[in-house]
Amino acid sequence: MKEIDELNLPDNLRYAKDHEWTRLEGDKVKIGIDDYAQDQLGDIVFVELPEVGATFAKGEEFGTVESVKAVSELFMPVGGEILAINTALEETPEHVNNSPYEDGWMIEIKPSDVAEMDALMDKEAYIKMLKG
Amino acid sequence: MEKEVKMTLLHGWHVDRGANMAQFGEYDMPLWYPTGTKSEHLSVLTNAGIFDTSHMAVVIVEGSDSLDLLSHCFSKNLDACIGKQQNPLTLGKSVYGVFLNDAGDVIDDAIVFQIDEALHMLVVNAGMGGAISAQLLANVDRRSVNIADLTDRVGKLDVQGPLAAKILIKVLKNPEAVFDKLPYFSFKGHFDSNSSAAETVLLDDDTPILLSRTGYTGEFGFEIFVEPDQFTRTWDTFIEAGEEFGLMACGLAARDSLRAGAVLPLSHQDIGPWPFLSNPWPFALAYNADYSGFTKQFIGSEALLKTDYCEYTLPFAGYDLRKVSINDPAIVTDDAGNQIGKVLTCATDMAIGRHKDRIYSIVSPDKPENFNPRGLCCGFVKTTVRLSRGQTVTLSDNRRKIKVEIVNDIRPNRTARLALSRFLN
Repeated sequence: MKEIDELNLPDNLRYAKDHEWTRLEGDKVKIGIDDYAQDQLGDIVFVELPEVGATFAKGEEFGTVESVKAVSELFMPVGGEILAINTALEETPEHVNNSPYEDGWMIEIKPSDVAEMDALMDKEAYIKMLKG
Repeated sequence: MEKEVKMTLLHGWHVDRGANMAQFGEYDMPLWYPTGTKSEHLSVLTNAGIFDTSHMAVVIVEGSDSLDLLSHCFSKNLDACIGKQQNPLTLGKSVYGVFLNDAGDVIDDAIVFQIDEALHMLVVNAGMGGAISAQLLANVDRRSVNIADLTDRVGKLDVQGPLAAKILIKVLKNPEAVFDKLPYFSFKGHFDSNSSAAETVLLDDDTPILLSRTGYTGEFGFEIFVEPDQFTRTWDTFIEAGEEFGLMACGLAARDSLRAGAVLPLSHQDIGPWPFLSNPWPFALAYNADYSGFTKQFIGSEALLKTDYCEYTLPFAGYDLRKVSINDPAIVTDDAGNQIGKVLTCATDMAIGRHKDRIYSIVSPDKPENFNPRGLCCGFVKTTVRLSRGQTVTLSDNRRKIKVEIVNDIRPNRTARLALSRFLN
């Protein structure tokens, strides 16, 4: 298990309390799960992602991530329409463990209200939450 | 009041290696190391894995009536349990069975080792040393016997996998003599230096061990018992010796997925407070040849013969690696959508996959070309209707439904029973 100060939590991301990360790329938002979540889950063996074109509100479940330990829900950190999903995770779900912010990204969305990002935590606030 | 969480002597080692720790029974145990469960699981099929299993409890039963007491309390007939000939349990042999209560429900499962004519060692599950000792004590009557609960007083580690014997050759003082006539469910030596058997199996540094051809993975390997004050050193010795063989420390998650694929029950999950009947483990009972009765009476035997209990515990294998969560809980439904039972265990055996109408493992000699399976979910269901091999049922939890097949066996080409000599070349 990684200590909190060993976690890789990039400065340029916003974090949700359910351990999803978001990255604003132009007018799109990329979403995945962070280093804390992948470390807690252990080997990720299966990722279930939504259809392109589906729309979810903030807080809604958009998929599941299955590790050897458990199946966990994935929640929308911001609402929006699914523009793309990372199909590489079908064959190589271990990307989520090995590269949670790059190869292991999960969905790309068109946010319905980009201001919802403001309610997410920056790295400092997220670390504070993890430390309880 | 919450009980204090216990730690094995290797707790610090696990934490230092970055293991993901969780409570199992009363113990804070490693679920996996940074290597990950999948690599750990696969290493036991291809190389070897080492497990800290000192959370398990050892109970010693000693005295002239030791065998008689166990005959009364334990489900196997110790006078007729070895091999096809049903020979008596003899010095250096061990046998798997269960302790039942009067209703025929399972208190715990156990392996009984015959160390001497009047000395038996019982290995039971974590936290069960007290309950099994109490059950034995309550049934002593006028028998001449001493019962000692050695919970937390014996170190235990398992080395499992095809290269386990080669690792042992490096650490044993006298490997040739030790490996001579050491079939599945036999053992040599003793961890107690006061025992005359302690000289039989020594590590290079003269540490006496009890070396047993048993395990909980379905694969070739050993369980090793050692005095607590030599335990961490012994673990380090194996880790060091195993390095060149790819020996990997394995956590409880890999232990669980390996045992599920090997159709081995987890006590208090797959067997428990219901009659020990109609399950994949009838060999744990002292049945007669035609299964019409038992070859002896023991606690719970009468209840099993008289009960009208009719639920069936069956192994299943899925079609991909997705699991259901038994904590939700997960139910079993038939093709018509009727609920017919519940899921006891659902794990993913990451070394197997389906090809055409068969399951192969990554070490199956006849596996298809370029076979690179991602695993299959598997485990046990308990149903109110009798299902036969090949039938499919649906398992569902709050999240998903998965179709699985009722099977007789799960991971093929397991190695636990193979002759030791096959693993020396």
